[in-house]
Amino acid sequence: MLRQDINELLTQTGPGTPMGDLFRQYWIPALLAEELPENDSPPVRVKLLSERLIAFRDSDGRYGLIDEFCAHRGASLWFGRNEGSGLRCPYHGWKYDVTGQCVEVPSEADNSSFCENVKLRAYPLVKVGDILWTYMGDPAKRPDLPEYEFAHVPQEQTYTSKRWQQCNWLQAFEGGIDSSHVTFLHSGGLKSDPLFKGAKGNEYNMKDTKPFFEVADSEGGLFVGARRNAEEGTYYWRITPWVMPAFTMVPPRGDHPVHGHFWVPIDDENCWTYSFDYHPARPLTAAERQAMIDGHGVHSKNIPGTYRPVANMDNDYLIDREAQKRGETYSGVAGIAMQDASLQESMGPIVDRTKERLVPADSGIIKARQKLRKAAIALRDEGVTPPGVDTAHHRVRSAAVVLPQAESFLDSCRDAVKATPGVPHSSV
Amino acid sequence: MATLPMYASESARAASASESRYRITVPIAPARNARVIALDARSAAVARRISDGPWANARFYTCEATRGRRRADEVLLHGIDGVPAALDDMLRGTDVVVVIATDDSGGALAAAIGSACSARAITTAGVVLGDGFEADDAVAALRPHARVLLLSADESDAFELLRALRV
Ligand code: FES
Ligand SMILES: [Fe+2]
Repeated sequence: MLRQDINELLTQTGPGTPMGDLFRQYWIPALLAEELPENDSPPVRVKLLSERLIAFRDSDGRYGLIDEFCAHRGASLWFGRNEGSGLRCPYHGWKYDVTGQCVEVPSEADNSSFCENVKLRAYPLVKVGDILWTYMGDPAKRPDLPEYEFAHVPQEQTYTSKRWQQCNWLQAFEGGIDSSHVTFLHSGGLKSDPLFKGAKGNEYNMKDTKPFFEVADSEGGLFVGARRNAEEGTYYWRITPWVMPAFTMVPPRGDHPVHGHFWVPIDDENCWTYSFDYHPARPLTAAERQAMIDGHGVHSKNIPGTYRPVANMDNDYLIDREAQKRGETYSGVAGIAMQDASLQESMGPIVDRTKERLVPADSGIIKARQKLRKAAIALRDEGVTPPGVDTAHHRVRSAAVVLPQAESFLDSCRDAVKATPGVPHSSV
Repeated sequence: MATLPMYASESARAASASESRYRITVPIAPARNARVIALDARSAAVARRISDGPWANARFYTCEATRGRRRADEVLLHGIDGVPAALDDMLRGTDVVVVIATDDSGGALAAAIGSACSARAITTAGVVLGDGFEADDAVAALRPHARVLLLSADESDAFELLRALRV
């Protein structure tokens, strides 16, 4: 359980909140690059950390993320005309560039300096990999661009999708470090999902359904190791890294691409789940990429033209009780992504953590909350830069390894959990 | 036969904030009867500090290093008030044991306590404070038995774990 005041601290990310300020120390995903496919493409509404913004790509290919509403009388710039190196409000023609600077107010005299004093709040928007990242904090403290491996391998080795999740970011994120649910909720997927099946590790997973856990601090966050019995005298370890604030990776399976997530608060009751899949050492095959597009693995099948999953709370996630009975799925919901989302959303928009009954196997979650709370308070009270801002912290990987029983996964996997360009991930 | 949901509260859409108001609220009784055992001098200090927290059923013990003494029936504990207690008696009626270690001096004890808990189907958690290297042996001794090992530089993790477990 968690005290109510701490639950509020960790779940509220709007401007001026401690957790909101924490998120504003980092570059975070704002949208997918595919949403602004070309110069002068239609602007996109983006709500992030409870701020309503407009993203656009101007005639010169520059990206901008600015206040959604026109400084004149507050019309939404989503209706704007994206042309001539700026976004023009169609109501009275005020025009803004990617920095939010007003560059034209047609009702004023030619050469009037009036518009120089009109500037909308704007944040940098930079493409790294398949994602357009933004930094919403103090410009003077802007860190280096993110160095997560999935965003830096060659394009043919990586794929990223996103989906709208109708709950607070924290309960979505907590699923990412909660290794103990996999054996139950996702058991069907280990057998059938094209992006999971066939790995030797899956056998250990299925055979030993009561993993042991080790949770250890890392420079950027945590490593959560889940251990199962393997051959005589050995353990099968699955190591999940968390980099603050909201980056996690799933331990790999065989030579399948390795995947992970980034959870980004939209507002306090909604978040974006970004899901990526990449292979550090080879291009994704056509079949793998197609499987990802089709919503297999950690990805979701979305309603065409949207980032809302086809299976969602308005249709009971298309639950299939027969498939559940047959054992194809454990919960009756199809797909890893929606198996997670359906349960996380069912907890309510912000789960009441005062009512939980946690067990020792939840230690990863207990520790992560503690780290978030401490980092938010150290930032608020003493201005301490939190873990995960330093880009060296981004260069981590998940790993799945078999080790002699006496070995510590931290010692034995020092290299395995480091992202080394071109070197395949450690996986069984 | 599958039936179609009729009201909001009969569908997944009831995950709204307004429908959350109708969740049943009953006081949650502390379900755990926890024992916290400090394995060495530094962890004994930690246990002492957290022992006067808001605990319902948790009881705190220390045990000094007893190299060579490995059998569970030989492990002698002391309550935080100094009253001696045999491991066997102490484990009676408990369902979770949290072991705290900061260095290797408690390695042999860790093994004895861990296997005693395993034999009694008592869930065991280990909190290992420090940078992880000073307590290598203690970690290795706990590993086969502890459902969870929390390796942490942060002493307050022991407190947070106990609070999260509602002990
Ligand atoms: S078993 Fe974990 S939420 Fe129900
Ligand atoms: Fe999951």
